[in-house]
Amino acid sequence: MEHHRSHIYGVMAEFDAPEQLIHAVEKTREAGYHRMDAYTPFPVEGLAHAMGLKRNMVPFITLLGGLAGGLGGFGFQYWAAAISYPQNIGGRPLNSWPAFIPVTFELTVLGAALCAVFGMLALNRLPQPHHPVFNVKRFVHATSDRFYLCIEARDPKFHVAETARFLQGLHPHHVTEVVYD
Amino acid sequence: MAAQEYPAPESVSRLQTRAFGVGAMALLLAIYGAIHSPETFFPSYLMSFLLVLGLALGSLGLVMLQHLTSGHWGIIIRRPLESATRTLPLLAVAFLPIAIFGMRYLYAGHGDDKGWLNAPASGEGALSAFQKNYLTHNGYLIRAVIYFAVWLALMFIFNVLSKQQDTNRTDRALRQRFKILAGPGIILYVFAMSFAAIDWVMSISPHWASTIYGFLFVAGQLISSMAFMIAVVVLLARTEPFAGILQPRHLHDLGKLLLAFVMLWAYFDFSQLLIIWSGNLPEEISFYRTRLYGEWGIVAVIVVVFHFFVPFFLLLSQDLKRNAKVLPKIALWLILMRLIDLFWMTRPEFTSSAVPSWLDLVLPIALGGLWLGFFAFNLRQCPLLPLGDPDLAEAIKNHEH
Repeated sequence: MEHHRSHIYGVMAEFDAPEQLIHAVEKTREAGYHRMDAYTPFPVEGLAHAMGLKRNMVPFITLLGGLAGGLGGFGFQYWAAAISYPQNIGGRPLNSWPAFIPVTFELTVLGAALCAVFGMLALNRLPQPHHPVFNVKRFVHATSDRFYLCIEARDPKFHVAETARFLQGLHPHHVTEVVYD
Repeated sequence: MAAQEYPAPESVSRLQTRAFGVGAMALLLAIYGAIHSPETFFPSYLMSFLLVLGLALGSLGLVMLQHLTSGHWGIIIRRPLESATRTLPLLAVAFLPIAIFGMRYLYAGHGDDKGWLNAPASGEGALSAFQKNYLTHNGYLIRAVIYFAVWLALMFIFNVLSKQQDTNRTDRALRQRFKILAGPGIILYVFAMSFAAIDWVMSISPHWASTIYGFLFVAGQLISSMAFMIAVVVLLARTEPFAGILQPRHLHDLGKLLLAFVMLWAYFDFSQLLIIWSGNLPEEISFYRTRLYGEWGIVAVIVVVFHFFVPFFLLLSQDLKRNAKVLPKIALWLILMRLIDLFWMTRPEFTSSAVPSWLDLVLPIALGGLWLGFFAFNLRQCPLLPLGDPDLAEAIKNHEH
Protein backbone atom coordinates (compact mmCIF):
# COMPACT_ATOMS: atom_id res chain seq x y z
CA MET A 1 0.00 0.00 0.00
CA GLU A 2 2.75 2.44 0.98
CA HIS A 3 4.66 1.66 -2.18
CA HIS A 4 1.54 2.05 -4.27
CA ARG A 5 0.77 5.44 -2.79
CA SER A 6 4.27 6.79 -3.37
CA HIS A 7 4.03 6.67 -7.14
CA ILE A 8 0.66 8.36 -7.21
CA TYR A 9 0.84 12.14 -7.54
CA GLY A 10 -2.84 12.70 -6.97
CA VAL A 11 -6.35 12.33 -8.32
CA MET A 12 -7.64 14.72 -10.93
CA ALA A 13 -11.16 15.65 -11.96
CA GLU A 14 -12.08 17.31 -15.24
CA PHE A 15 -14.87 19.91 -15.50
CA ASP A 16 -16.64 21.61 -18.37
CA ALA A 17 -17.04 25.10 -17.01
CA PRO A 18 -15.18 27.47 -14.66
CA GLU A 19 -18.21 27.78 -12.35
CA GLN A 20 -18.23 24.01 -11.83
CA LEU A 21 -14.54 24.14 -11.01
CA ILE A 22 -14.99 26.90 -8.44
CA HIS A 23 -17.88 25.00 -6.90
CA ALA A 24 -15.77 21.82 -6.78
CA VAL A 25 -12.87 23.70 -5.17
CA GLU A 26 -15.18 25.04 -2.48
CA LYS A 27 -16.60 21.57 -1.78
CA THR A 28 -13.10 20.07 -1.68
CA ARG A 29 -11.93 22.57 0.89
CA GLU A 30 -15.08 21.99 2.93
CA ALA A 31 -14.25 18.27 2.86
CA GLY A 32 -10.93 19.09 4.53
CA TYR A 33 -8.46 18.81 1.66
CA HIS A 34 -5.76 21.48 1.42
CA ARG A 35 -3.15 20.18 -1.01
CA MET A 36 -4.72 20.79 -4.38
CA ASP A 37 -4.19 22.72 -7.55
CA ALA A 38 -6.48 23.91 -10.31
CA TYR A 39 -5.58 24.06 -14.00
CA THR A 40 -7.51 26.29 -16.38
CA PRO A 41 -7.09 27.51 -19.97
CA PHE A 42 -7.52 31.13 -18.86
CA PRO A 43 -7.45 33.06 -15.56
CA VAL A 44 -10.71 32.36 -13.71
CA GLU A 45 -11.91 35.18 -11.50
CA GLY A 46 -12.60 34.10 -7.94
CA LEU A 47 -10.65 30.85 -8.25
CA ALA A 48 -7.69 32.01 -6.15
CA HIS A 49 -10.15 33.23 -3.54
CA ALA A 50 -12.03 29.90 -3.57
CA MET A 51 -8.76 27.98 -3.21
CA GLY A 52 -7.90 30.12 -0.20
CA LEU A 53 -4.53 31.07 -1.68
CA LYS A 54 -2.57 33.18 0.75
CA ARG A 55 -0.59 36.25 -0.18
CA ASN A 56 2.82 35.29 -1.50
CA MET A 57 6.31 36.65 -0.97
CA VAL A 58 6.75 38.26 -4.42
CA PRO A 59 5.92 41.84 -3.28
CA PHE A 60 8.38 41.58 -0.40
CA ILE A 61 11.13 40.16 -2.63
CA THR A 62 10.43 42.97 -5.11
CA LEU A 63 10.76 45.57 -2.36
CA LEU A 64 14.08 44.10 -1.25
CA GLY A 65 15.28 44.10 -4.87
CA GLY A 66 14.27 47.73 -5.28
CA LEU A 67 15.98 48.80 -2.07
CA ALA A 68 19.12 46.86 -2.96
CA GLY A 69 19.18 48.36 -6.47
CA GLY A 70 18.59 51.89 -5.20
CA LEU A 71 21.09 51.79 -2.33
CA GLY A 72 23.65 50.00 -4.50
CA GLY A 73 23.20 52.46 -7.35
CA PHE A 74 23.55 55.48 -5.10
CA GLY A 75 26.38 53.91 -3.09
CA PHE A 76 28.41 53.08 -6.15
CA GLN A 77 28.12 56.60 -7.55
CA TYR A 78 28.99 58.09 -4.19
CA TRP A 79 32.02 55.83 -3.92
CA ALA A 80 33.15 56.63 -7.48
CA ALA A 81 32.63 60.39 -7.29
CA ALA A 82 33.54 61.16 -3.69
CA ILE A 83 36.00 58.47 -2.55
CA SER A 84 37.64 56.59 -5.38
CA TYR A 85 38.17 59.39 -7.91
CA PRO A 86 37.17 62.76 -6.45
CA GLN A 87 36.95 65.50 -9.07
CA ASN A 88 35.93 69.13 -8.80
CA ILE A 89 33.18 69.50 -11.41
CA GLY A 90 32.07 73.09 -11.79
CA GLY A 91 32.55 73.73 -8.09
CA ARG A 92 29.80 71.33 -7.06
CA PRO A 93 30.23 69.24 -3.92
CA LEU A 94 31.79 65.82 -4.40
CA ASN A 95 28.59 64.22 -3.19
CA SER A 96 26.56 65.87 -5.95
CA TRP A 97 23.51 63.83 -5.03
CA PRO A 98 20.91 65.28 -7.41
CA ALA A 99 23.06 64.07 -10.31
CA PHE A 100 23.05 60.55 -8.80
CA ILE A 101 19.29 60.24 -8.58
CA PRO A 102 18.45 59.22 -12.19
CA VAL A 103 20.83 56.24 -12.05
CA THR A 104 19.63 55.42 -8.54
CA PHE A 105 16.06 55.43 -9.79
CA GLU A 106 16.87 53.25 -12.81
CA LEU A 107 18.69 50.70 -10.68
CA THR A 108 15.81 50.67 -8.19
CA VAL A 109 13.47 49.76 -11.04
CA LEU A 110 15.91 47.22 -12.44
CA GLY A 111 16.46 45.52 -9.08
CA ALA A 112 12.73 45.46 -8.33
CA ALA A 113 11.81 44.13 -11.78
CA LEU A 114 14.46 41.38 -11.80
CA CYS A 115 13.48 40.30 -8.29
CA ALA A 116 9.78 40.31 -9.22
CA VAL A 117 10.33 38.08 -12.27
CA PHE A 118 12.91 35.69 -10.84
CA GLY A 119 11.28 35.67 -7.41
CA MET A 120 8.00 34.65 -9.03
CA LEU A 121 9.75 31.90 -11.04
CA ALA A 122 11.62 30.61 -7.99
CA LEU A 123 8.51 30.53 -5.79
CA ASN A 124 6.64 28.67 -8.55
CA ARG A 125 9.61 26.27 -8.81
CA LEU A 126 9.95 27.15 -12.48
CA PRO A 127 11.33 26.29 -14.95
CA GLN A 128 9.97 22.77 -14.62
CA PRO A 129 10.24 20.77 -17.86
CA HIS A 130 7.91 18.02 -16.68
CA HIS A 131 5.03 17.68 -14.28
CA PRO A 132 3.11 14.51 -13.32
CA VAL A 133 -0.22 15.94 -14.54
CA PHE A 134 1.17 15.79 -18.10
CA ASN A 135 1.01 11.99 -17.77
CA VAL A 136 -2.77 12.26 -18.05
CA LYS A 137 -3.54 12.13 -21.76
CA ARG A 138 -6.68 14.25 -21.56
CA PHE A 139 -4.79 17.03 -19.80
CA VAL A 140 -4.02 18.63 -23.22
CA HIS A 141 -7.53 20.08 -22.95
CA ALA A 142 -6.35 22.26 -20.07
CA THR A 143 -4.99 24.63 -22.70
CA SER A 144 -8.26 24.86 -24.62
CA ASP A 145 -11.64 24.08 -23.09
CA ARG A 146 -11.50 22.01 -19.89
CA PHE A 147 -10.94 22.82 -16.22
CA TYR A 148 -9.03 20.52 -13.89
CA LEU A 149 -8.83 20.07 -10.17
CA CYS A 150 -6.10 17.82 -8.79
CA ILE A 151 -6.06 16.72 -5.15
CA GLU A 152 -2.50 15.80 -4.37
CA ALA A 153 -1.28 12.68 -2.61
CA ARG A 154 0.73 14.69 -0.09
CA ASP A 155 -2.52 15.87 1.48
CA PRO A 156 -2.84 14.09 4.84
CA LYS A 157 -6.45 13.25 4.11
CA PHE A 158 -5.60 11.71 0.73
CA HIS A 159 -6.66 8.14 -0.03
CA VAL A 160 -6.68 7.04 -3.66
CA ALA A 161 -10.03 5.28 -3.72
CA GLU A 162 -11.85 7.55 -1.29
CA THR A 163 -10.61 10.76 -2.82
CA ALA A 164 -11.57 9.50 -6.29
CA ARG A 165 -15.02 8.63 -4.97
CA PHE A 166 -15.32 12.07 -3.40
CA LEU A 167 -14.39 13.77 -6.68
CA GLN A 168 -16.89 11.58 -8.56
CA GLY A 169 -19.54 13.00 -6.25
CA LEU A 170 -18.85 16.50 -7.66
CA HIS A 171 -20.14 15.38 -11.09
CA PRO A 172 -17.03 15.91 -13.16
CA HIS A 173 -16.55 14.82 -16.74
CA HIS A 174 -13.80 12.43 -15.76
CA VAL A 175 -11.76 11.39 -12.74
CA THR A 176 -8.23 10.11 -13.35
CA GLU A 177 -5.39 8.97 -11.16
CA VAL A 178 -2.24 10.98 -11.78
CA VAL A 179 0.88 8.81 -11.56
CA TYR A 180 4.58 9.59 -11.67
CA ASP A 181 6.21 7.82 -14.60
CA MET B 1 -31.40 45.94 -9.38
CA ALA B 2 -34.20 48.21 -8.29
CA ALA B 3 -33.89 51.78 -9.47
CA GLN B 4 -32.42 53.87 -6.68
CA GLU B 5 -31.70 57.55 -6.59
CA TYR B 6 -28.82 57.52 -4.08
CA PRO B 7 -29.53 60.85 -2.35
CA ALA B 8 -26.80 62.42 -0.21
CA PRO B 9 -27.10 61.36 3.43
CA GLU B 10 -27.80 63.62 6.40
CA SER B 11 -24.08 63.77 7.23
CA VAL B 12 -23.45 65.87 4.11
CA SER B 13 -25.85 68.62 5.18
CA ARG B 14 -24.28 68.58 8.66
CA LEU B 15 -20.88 68.95 7.00
CA GLN B 16 -22.23 71.87 4.98
CA THR B 17 -23.52 73.74 8.04
CA ARG B 18 -20.36 73.19 10.08
CA ALA B 19 -17.97 74.01 7.26
CA PHE B 20 -19.81 77.23 6.44
CA GLY B 21 -19.87 78.16 10.12
CA VAL B 22 -16.17 77.56 10.75
CA GLY B 23 -15.23 79.13 7.42
CA ALA B 24 -17.29 82.27 8.06
CA MET B 25 -15.79 82.79 11.52
CA ALA B 26 -12.25 82.30 10.23
CA LEU B 27 -13.05 84.70 7.39
CA LEU B 28 -14.00 87.44 9.86
CA LEU B 29 -10.66 87.00 11.63
CA ALA B 30 -8.92 87.02 8.26
CA ILE B 31 -10.60 90.26 7.21
CA TYR B 32 -9.26 91.86 10.37
CA GLY B 33 -5.81 90.60 9.33
CA ALA B 34 -6.25 91.99 5.84
CA ILE B 35 -6.98 95.47 7.15
CA HIS B 36 -4.37 95.32 9.88
CA SER B 37 -1.41 93.96 7.88
CA PRO B 38 -2.10 93.49 4.19
CA GLU B 39 1.56 92.76 3.44
CA THR B 40 1.39 89.51 5.45
CA PHE B 41 -2.21 88.85 4.47
CA PHE B 42 -1.79 88.59 0.71
CA PRO B 43 1.07 86.07 0.50
CA SER B 44 -0.92 83.95 2.91
CA TYR B 45 -4.09 84.46 0.90
CA LEU B 46 -2.34 83.43 -2.31
CA MET B 47 -1.15 80.19 -0.69
CA SER B 48 -4.60 79.35 0.69
CA PHE B 49 -6.29 80.26 -2.58
CA LEU B 50 -3.95 77.94 -4.50
CA LEU B 51 -4.65 75.05 -2.11
CA VAL B 52 -8.41 75.37 -2.51
CA LEU B 53 -8.11 76.01 -6.26
CA GLY B 54 -6.19 72.74 -6.43
CA LEU B 55 -9.09 70.81 -4.93
CA ALA B 56 -11.47 72.18 -7.58
CA LEU B 57 -9.18 72.12 -10.61
CA GLY B 58 -7.66 68.74 -9.75
CA SER B 59 -11.21 67.44 -9.71
CA LEU B 60 -11.86 69.00 -13.12
CA GLY B 61 -8.78 67.19 -14.43
CA LEU B 62 -9.86 63.90 -12.84
CA VAL B 63 -13.42 64.18 -14.22
CA MET B 64 -11.99 64.41 -17.72
CA LEU B 65 -9.39 61.72 -17.03
CA GLN B 66 -12.01 59.24 -15.87
CA HIS B 67 -14.16 59.94 -18.94
CA LEU B 68 -11.15 59.12 -21.11
CA THR B 69 -9.99 56.01 -19.30
CA SER B 70 -13.25 54.63 -17.82
CA GLY B 71 -12.81 52.40 -14.80
CA HIS B 72 -14.93 51.67 -11.78
CA TRP B 73 -12.95 54.04 -9.58
CA GLY B 74 -14.13 56.93 -11.75
CA ILE B 75 -17.79 55.98 -11.54
CA ILE B 76 -17.61 55.81 -7.74
CA ILE B 77 -16.12 59.30 -7.36
CA ARG B 78 -17.64 61.01 -10.40
CA ARG B 79 -20.37 62.86 -8.53
CA PRO B 80 -18.06 64.12 -5.77
CA LEU B 81 -15.62 65.21 -8.49
CA GLU B 82 -18.33 67.08 -10.37
CA SER B 83 -19.51 68.68 -7.13
CA ALA B 84 -15.95 69.85 -6.50
CA THR B 85 -15.70 71.38 -9.98
CA ARG B 86 -18.94 73.29 -9.42
CA THR B 87 -17.16 75.27 -6.69
CA LEU B 88 -15.18 77.08 -9.40
CA PRO B 89 -17.49 80.14 -9.36
CA LEU B 90 -16.55 80.58 -5.69
CA LEU B 91 -12.89 80.43 -6.64
CA ALA B 92 -13.39 83.04 -9.34
CA VAL B 93 -14.87 85.30 -6.63
CA ALA B 94 -12.03 84.38 -4.28
CA PHE B 95 -9.56 85.58 -6.89
CA LEU B 96 -11.03 89.10 -6.84
CA PRO B 97 -9.22 90.25 -3.65
CA ILE B 98 -5.90 89.40 -5.33
CA ALA B 99 -6.89 91.16 -8.55
CA ILE B 100 -8.28 94.26 -6.85
CA PHE B 101 -6.14 94.77 -3.75
CA GLY B 102 -3.44 92.15 -3.69
CA MET B 103 -1.31 92.73 -6.78
CA ARG B 104 0.76 95.55 -5.33
CA TYR B 105 1.58 93.45 -2.27
CA LEU B 106 2.47 90.39 -4.32
CA TYR B 107 4.18 91.66 -7.47
CA ALA B 108 5.88 94.89 -6.46
CA GLY B 109 8.98 93.29 -4.92
CA HIS B 110 10.69 94.07 -1.63
CA GLY B 111 13.22 96.80 -0.95
CA ASP B 112 15.88 96.74 -3.63
CA ASP B 113 14.39 93.66 -5.30
CA LYS B 114 11.78 95.15 -7.56
CA GLY B 115 8.81 93.10 -8.75
CA TRP B 116 7.40 93.28 -12.25
CA LEU B 117 4.81 95.88 -11.24
CA ASN B 118 7.46 98.47 -10.42
CA ALA B 119 10.54 97.23 -12.30
CA PRO B 120 12.95 99.93 -13.47
CA ALA B 121 12.68 100.76 -17.16
CA SER B 122 16.36 100.05 -17.77
CA GLY B 123 19.53 98.98 -16.01
CA GLU B 124 19.77 96.29 -13.33
CA GLY B 125 16.50 94.55 -12.55
CA ALA B 126 14.80 95.72 -15.75
CA LEU B 127 12.38 93.34 -17.44
CA SER B 128 13.17 91.84 -20.82
CA ALA B 129 11.47 93.28 -23.91
CA PHE B 130 8.96 90.43 -23.95
CA GLN B 131 8.23 90.70 -20.22
CA LYS B 132 7.55 94.42 -20.58
CA ASN B 133 4.68 93.57 -22.89
CA TYR B 134 3.52 90.43 -21.12
CA LEU B 135 3.78 91.15 -17.41
CA THR B 136 1.52 94.19 -17.28
CA HIS B 137 -1.26 95.03 -14.88
CA ASN B 138 -3.96 94.72 -17.52
CA GLY B 139 -2.40 91.71 -19.17
CA TYR B 140 -2.45 89.92 -15.82
CA LEU B 141 -6.14 90.67 -15.32
CA ILE B 142 -7.19 89.79 -18.88
CA ARG B 143 -5.35 86.49 -18.73
CA ALA B 144 -6.93 85.66 -15.35
CA VAL B 145 -10.34 86.20 -16.98
CA ILE B 146 -9.36 83.82 -19.78
CA TYR B 147 -8.15 81.11 -17.38
CA PHE B 148 -11.36 81.20 -15.38
CA ALA B 149 -13.43 81.30 -18.58
CA VAL B 150 -11.72 78.12 -19.80
CA TRP B 151 -12.18 76.30 -16.49
CA LEU B 152 -15.76 77.44 -16.00
CA ALA B 153 -16.65 76.41 -19.55
CA LEU B 154 -15.18 72.94 -19.02
CA MET B 155 -16.97 72.66 -15.68
CA PHE B 156 -20.24 73.69 -17.31
CA ILE B 157 -19.93 71.24 -20.22
CA PHE B 158 -19.14 68.18 -18.13
CA ASN B 159 -21.75 68.91 -15.48
CA VAL B 160 -24.53 69.55 -17.98
CA LEU B 161 -23.75 66.40 -19.97
CA SER B 162 -23.63 64.39 -16.77
CA LYS B 163 -27.04 65.68 -15.73
CA GLN B 164 -28.42 64.76 -19.17
CA GLN B 165 -27.08 61.25 -18.71
CA ASP B 166 -29.07 60.91 -15.50
CA THR B 167 -32.35 61.47 -17.34
CA ASN B 168 -31.48 59.87 -20.71
CA ARG B 169 -30.17 56.65 -19.27
CA THR B 170 -30.27 54.76 -22.53
CA ASP B 171 -28.47 57.38 -24.60
CA ARG B 172 -25.16 55.71 -25.44
CA ALA B 173 -24.06 58.64 -27.65
CA LEU B 174 -23.51 60.74 -24.52
CA ARG B 175 -20.59 58.63 -23.41
CA GLN B 176 -18.94 59.13 -26.80
CA ARG B 177 -19.42 62.87 -26.45
CA PHE B 178 -17.80 62.78 -22.99
CA LYS B 179 -14.78 61.05 -24.45
CA ILE B 180 -14.44 63.37 -27.42
CA LEU B 181 -14.58 66.45 -25.19
CA ALA B 182 -12.40 65.11 -22.39
CA GLY B 183 -9.19 64.81 -24.41
CA PRO B 184 -8.99 68.43 -25.61
CA GLY B 185 -10.45 69.47 -22.23
CA ILE B 186 -7.47 68.06 -20.33
CA ILE B 187 -5.07 69.89 -22.64
CA LEU B 188 -6.95 73.17 -22.10
CA TYR B 189 -6.98 72.71 -18.32
CA VAL B 190 -3.24 72.00 -18.17
CA PHE B 191 -2.38 74.90 -20.50
CA ALA B 192 -4.51 77.37 -18.58
CA MET B 193 -3.14 76.16 -15.23
CA SER B 194 0.43 76.31 -16.47
CA PHE B 195 0.01 79.91 -17.59
CA ALA B 196 -1.87 80.76 -14.41
CA ALA B 197 0.98 79.36 -12.30
CA ILE B 198 3.43 81.53 -14.23
CA ASP B 199 1.27 84.66 -13.81
CA TRP B 200 0.21 84.19 -10.22
CA VAL B 201 3.23 82.58 -8.58
CA MET B 202 6.31 82.38 -10.77
CA SER B 203 6.11 86.08 -11.62
CA ILE B 204 6.75 86.91 -7.94
CA SER B 205 10.41 86.58 -8.92
CA PRO B 206 10.28 87.86 -12.49
CA HIS B 207 13.91 87.10 -13.36
CA TRP B 208 13.64 83.41 -12.67
CA ALA B 209 11.94 80.94 -15.01
CA SER B 210 11.27 77.22 -15.17
CA THR B 211 9.39 75.49 -17.98
CA ILE B 212 8.05 72.66 -15.80
CA TYR B 213 6.66 75.10 -13.23
CA GLY B 214 3.01 74.77 -14.26
CA PHE B 215 3.18 70.99 -14.13
CA LEU B 216 4.28 71.14 -10.50
CA PHE B 217 0.94 72.76 -9.76
CA VAL B 218 -1.06 70.40 -11.98
CA ALA B 219 0.48 67.34 -10.31
CA GLY B 220 -0.10 68.88 -6.89
CA GLN B 221 -3.73 69.56 -7.78
CA LEU B 222 -4.24 65.94 -8.80
CA ILE B 223 -2.84 64.82 -5.43
CA SER B 224 -5.11 67.25 -3.55
CA SER B 225 -8.20 66.21 -5.44
CA MET B 226 -7.62 62.46 -5.28
CA ALA B 227 -6.80 62.70 -1.57
CA PHE B 228 -9.95 64.71 -0.95
CA MET B 229 -12.06 62.20 -2.92
CA ILE B 230 -10.75 59.32 -0.80
CA ALA B 231 -11.76 61.17 2.36
CA VAL B 232 -15.19 61.97 0.87
CA VAL B 233 -16.08 58.44 -0.24
CA VAL B 234 -15.01 56.99 3.10
CA LEU B 235 -17.17 59.57 4.87
CA LEU B 236 -20.13 58.78 2.59
CA ALA B 237 -19.66 55.05 3.15
CA ARG B 238 -20.39 55.46 6.85
CA THR B 239 -24.11 55.73 6.12
CA GLU B 240 -26.66 54.54 3.59
CA PRO B 241 -26.97 54.64 0.62
CA PHE B 242 -23.20 54.46 0.04
CA ALA B 243 -22.45 52.02 2.85
CA GLY B 244 -23.02 48.89 0.80
CA ILE B 245 -21.39 50.30 -2.32
CA LEU B 246 -17.84 51.22 -1.43
CA GLN B 247 -15.64 48.14 -1.48
CA PRO B 248 -11.97 47.58 -0.74
CA ARG B 249 -11.25 47.18 -4.45
CA HIS B 250 -12.48 50.75 -5.06
CA LEU B 251 -10.26 52.15 -2.32
CA HIS B 252 -7.41 50.06 -3.67
CA ASP B 253 -7.74 51.73 -7.09
CA LEU B 254 -8.07 55.23 -5.62
CA GLY B 255 -5.04 54.56 -3.41
CA LYS B 256 -3.02 53.37 -6.39
CA LEU B 257 -3.86 56.55 -8.29
CA LEU B 258 -2.94 58.66 -5.26
CA LEU B 259 0.43 56.89 -5.15
CA ALA B 260 0.88 57.49 -8.87
CA PHE B 261 0.15 61.23 -8.46
CA VAL B 262 2.55 61.50 -5.53
CA MET B 263 5.24 59.91 -7.70
CA LEU B 264 4.37 62.16 -10.65
CA TRP B 265 4.63 65.24 -8.44
CA ALA B 266 7.97 64.11 -7.02
CA TYR B 267 9.23 63.38 -10.53
CA PHE B 268 8.32 66.86 -11.79
CA ASP B 269 9.72 68.57 -8.71
CA PHE B 270 12.97 66.65 -8.87
CA SER B 271 13.36 67.22 -12.63
CA GLN B 272 13.39 70.95 -12.05
CA LEU B 273 16.03 70.65 -9.32
CA LEU B 274 18.20 68.31 -11.41
CA ILE B 275 18.25 70.58 -14.45
CA ILE B 276 18.98 73.70 -12.43
CA TRP B 277 21.61 71.88 -10.37
CA SER B 278 23.33 70.59 -13.51
CA GLY B 279 23.26 73.96 -15.26
CA ASN B 280 24.38 75.85 -12.13
CA LEU B 281 23.64 79.21 -13.75
CA PRO B 282 23.37 82.32 -11.52
CA GLU B 283 19.96 83.41 -12.85
CA GLU B 284 18.48 79.92 -12.40
CA ILE B 285 19.77 78.92 -8.97
CA SER B 286 18.10 81.83 -7.14
CA PHE B 287 14.95 79.71 -6.67
CA TYR B 288 16.87 77.07 -4.70
CA ARG B 289 19.29 79.49 -3.05
CA THR B 290 16.33 80.94 -1.19
CA ARG B 291 14.60 77.60 -0.63
CA LEU B 292 17.26 75.04 0.28
CA TYR B 293 19.17 76.98 2.96
CA GLY B 294 18.36 78.44 6.35
CA GLU B 295 14.87 78.03 7.73
CA TRP B 296 13.43 77.29 4.30
CA GLY B 297 15.88 74.41 4.01
CA ILE B 298 14.17 72.77 6.98
CA VAL B 299 10.81 73.17 5.24
CA ALA B 300 12.34 71.64 2.10
CA VAL B 301 13.43 68.56 4.06
CA ILE B 302 9.97 68.30 5.64
CA VAL B 303 8.39 68.41 2.17
CA VAL B 304 10.72 65.76 0.74
CA VAL B 305 10.30 63.39 3.68
CA PHE B 306 6.62 63.84 4.54
CA HIS B 307 5.16 64.78 1.17
CA PHE B 308 7.06 62.10 -0.71
CA PHE B 309 8.93 59.38 1.18
CA VAL B 310 6.47 58.65 4.00
CA PRO B 311 3.30 58.58 1.85
CA PHE B 312 5.19 56.72 -0.89
CA PHE B 313 6.25 53.85 1.36
CA LEU B 314 2.87 53.71 3.12
CA LEU B 315 0.97 53.65 -0.17
CA LEU B 316 3.12 50.81 -1.50
CA SER B 317 1.29 48.49 0.88
CA GLN B 318 -1.75 46.77 -0.58
CA ASP B 319 -3.28 46.32 2.88
CA LEU B 320 -3.10 50.03 3.69
CA LYS B 321 -4.62 51.02 0.35
CA ARG B 322 -7.59 48.72 1.00
CA ASN B 323 -7.99 49.91 4.59
CA ALA B 324 -10.91 52.35 4.98
CA LYS B 325 -9.48 53.56 8.31
CA VAL B 326 -5.88 54.24 7.29
CA LEU B 327 -6.16 55.38 3.66
CA PRO B 328 -8.24 58.53 4.39
CA LYS B 329 -5.72 59.50 7.08
CA ILE B 330 -2.87 59.29 4.56
CA ALA B 331 -5.05 61.28 2.16
CA LEU B 332 -5.79 64.08 4.63
CA TRP B 333 -2.13 64.14 5.59
CA LEU B 334 -1.27 64.71 1.92
CA ILE B 335 -3.67 67.67 1.72
CA LEU B 336 -1.85 69.22 4.70
CA MET B 337 1.44 68.53 2.93
CA ARG B 338 0.10 70.26 -0.17
CA LEU B 339 -0.38 73.37 1.98
CA ILE B 340 3.19 73.15 3.29
CA ASP B 341 4.54 72.64 -0.22
CA LEU B 342 2.62 75.71 -1.41
CA PHE B 343 3.99 77.60 1.59
CA TRP B 344 7.51 76.64 0.45
CA MET B 345 6.75 77.48 -3.19
CA THR B 346 5.14 80.89 -2.66
CA ARG B 347 6.62 82.42 0.48
CA PRO B 348 10.46 82.55 0.46
CA GLU B 349 10.45 85.60 -1.85
CA PHE B 350 8.58 87.53 0.84
CA THR B 351 10.47 86.55 3.97
CA SER B 352 13.54 84.58 4.97
CA SER B 353 11.68 83.36 8.06
CA ALA B 354 9.83 80.10 7.59
CA VAL B 355 7.76 80.58 10.75
CA PRO B 356 4.11 80.80 9.67
CA SER B 357 1.99 83.75 10.81
CA TRP B 358 -1.44 83.35 12.40
CA LEU B 359 -2.97 84.19 9.03
CA ASP B 360 -1.35 81.06 7.57
CA LEU B 361 -3.58 79.08 9.91
CA VAL B 362 -6.72 81.21 9.68
CA LEU B 363 -6.83 81.75 5.92
CA PRO B 364 -6.65 78.07 4.88
CA ILE B 365 -9.45 77.39 7.39
CA ALA B 366 -11.50 80.33 6.08
CA LEU B 367 -11.20 79.52 2.38
CA GLY B 368 -11.16 75.77 3.00
CA GLY B 369 -14.25 75.92 5.21
CA LEU B 370 -16.28 78.00 2.77
CA TRP B 371 -15.14 75.79 -0.07
CA LEU B 372 -16.03 72.60 1.80
CA GLY B 373 -19.46 74.00 2.65
CA PHE B 374 -20.08 74.85 -1.00
CA PHE B 375 -18.85 71.40 -2.02
CA ALA B 376 -21.27 69.73 0.41
CA PHE B 377 -24.08 71.92 -0.91
CA ASN B 378 -23.24 70.85 -4.48
CA LEU B 379 -23.06 67.20 -3.50
CA ARG B 380 -26.63 67.36 -2.23
CA GLN B 381 -27.96 68.61 -5.56
CA CYS B 382 -27.62 65.35 -7.46
CA PRO B 383 -27.64 61.57 -6.95
CA LEU B 384 -24.38 60.29 -5.44
CA LEU B 385 -23.80 57.99 -8.40
CA PRO B 386 -24.04 58.66 -12.16
CA LEU B 387 -27.29 56.78 -12.71
CA GLY B 388 -27.04 56.79 -16.49
CA ASP B 389 -23.52 55.44 -16.74
CA PRO B 390 -23.68 52.15 -18.68
CA ASP B 391 -21.06 50.59 -16.37
CA LEU B 392 -22.71 51.62 -13.10
CA ALA B 393 -24.17 48.19 -12.26
CA GLU B 394 -20.83 46.50 -12.86
CA ALA B 395 -18.95 49.18 -10.93
CA ILE B 396 -20.95 48.75 -7.73
CA LYS B 397 -21.35 44.96 -7.99
CA ASN B 398 -19.93 43.17 -4.98
CA HIS B 399 -17.49 40.55 -6.27
CA GLU B 400 -16.27 39.54 -2.86
CA HIS B 401 -19.50 37.77 -1.93
